Amino acid sequence: MPDQNQITEKESIEIITSMIQKAKGSYHETGIGPILWGAVVSFASFVSFLQMKYGFSIGFDVWLLVLFAIIPQIMISVREKRSGGVKKYEDDALDTVWLVFGISLFCLIVYRNAIPSVTTRLIADEGWQMMKHYTDGSKPDEPLTPFVPSFYSIYIMLYAFPTLVTGLVKKYKPMTYGALLSYCLFVISCFTTSWNDMLLGAIAAMVCWLIPGILLRRKYLAQKNANVNV
Amino acid sequence: MFKELDPILHSQLRLAVMSLLIGVKEADFTFIREKTNATAGNLSVQVQKLKDAGYIEVVKQFKDNYPLTTCKITPKGIEAFDAYVKALQQYLQVGKG
Repeated sequence: MPDQNQITEKESIEIITSMIQKAKGSYHETGIGPILWGAVVSFASFVSFLQMKYGFSIGFDVWLLVLFAIIPQIMISVREKRSGGVKKYEDDALDTVWLVFGISLFCLIVYRNAIPSVTTRLIADEGWQMMKHYTDGSKPDEPLTPFVPSFYSIYIMLYAFPTLVTGLVKKYKPMTYGALLSYCLFVISCFTTSWNDMLLGAIAAMVCWLIPGILLRRKYLAQKNANVNV
Repeated sequence: MFKELDPILHSQLRLAVMSLLIGVKEADFTFIREKTNATAGNLSVQVQKLKDAGYIEVVKQFKDNYPLTTCKITPKGIEAFDAYVKALQQYLQVGKG
């Protein structure tokens, strides 16, 4: 674009409109983050579903993969921040939403792991324990470790929250629809067994992150190629 | 009486740079160059003029041993852009009549 001082008022309006549209339509997110999380969480959920449904074990906790995915995620975030490009006003707010999501998820993991043993101890101090009682009398009563029923439903609901905020703020429909679908999956999961909740969780991770991430990546690469070809 | 169009903004490239920066928090030099299709030399000159006018803030730093120039619109720049758009609207309304 040359620097011509002789521009008409109409041309000025055209320049303003076109540049604002270009800034709005720029996809500076590479999509790698959502693809990574979508893939890892849906894989871990699906493997958990298979293990629970068919009663086998892969020998280690598949959710450790999610923990290991934090390292590449930090590297991706640092690299994307360093790569410059453009920073929009909403970026800081959305980063905070995802940080709060991460903290909430961590707290939920602590809650899930702490509650059974703590509850067992507390009720034992009171001098009683929970028992599993078969109503048809087919088996004798057996001690039961306290647990939070249909716990993965809470995760599915939590997955939808930052995704919906991001989708609405960025006006990115795949994330908005993915999050809304996840809320539906959450409601369905309240009426299904724990292993089916895992399957619904795998679908939620796919629609919230994996699919929108792939679509975002496509747009980012298309835009990048267009800039190279200009 | 028509308001005079700000001569700093009434230039194709400078107006393009300001229009890009008005909608974002900050943008780097490469991003602005890609979006405006300007040459690096021309863009540098125009960015400097906007900086001298106090309309934008320019931060120069290094990223992996490469220089990274980031531009950000200032409150004075937002005010000037707003006034420019209002003046433009006046001109266009008269043109329609």
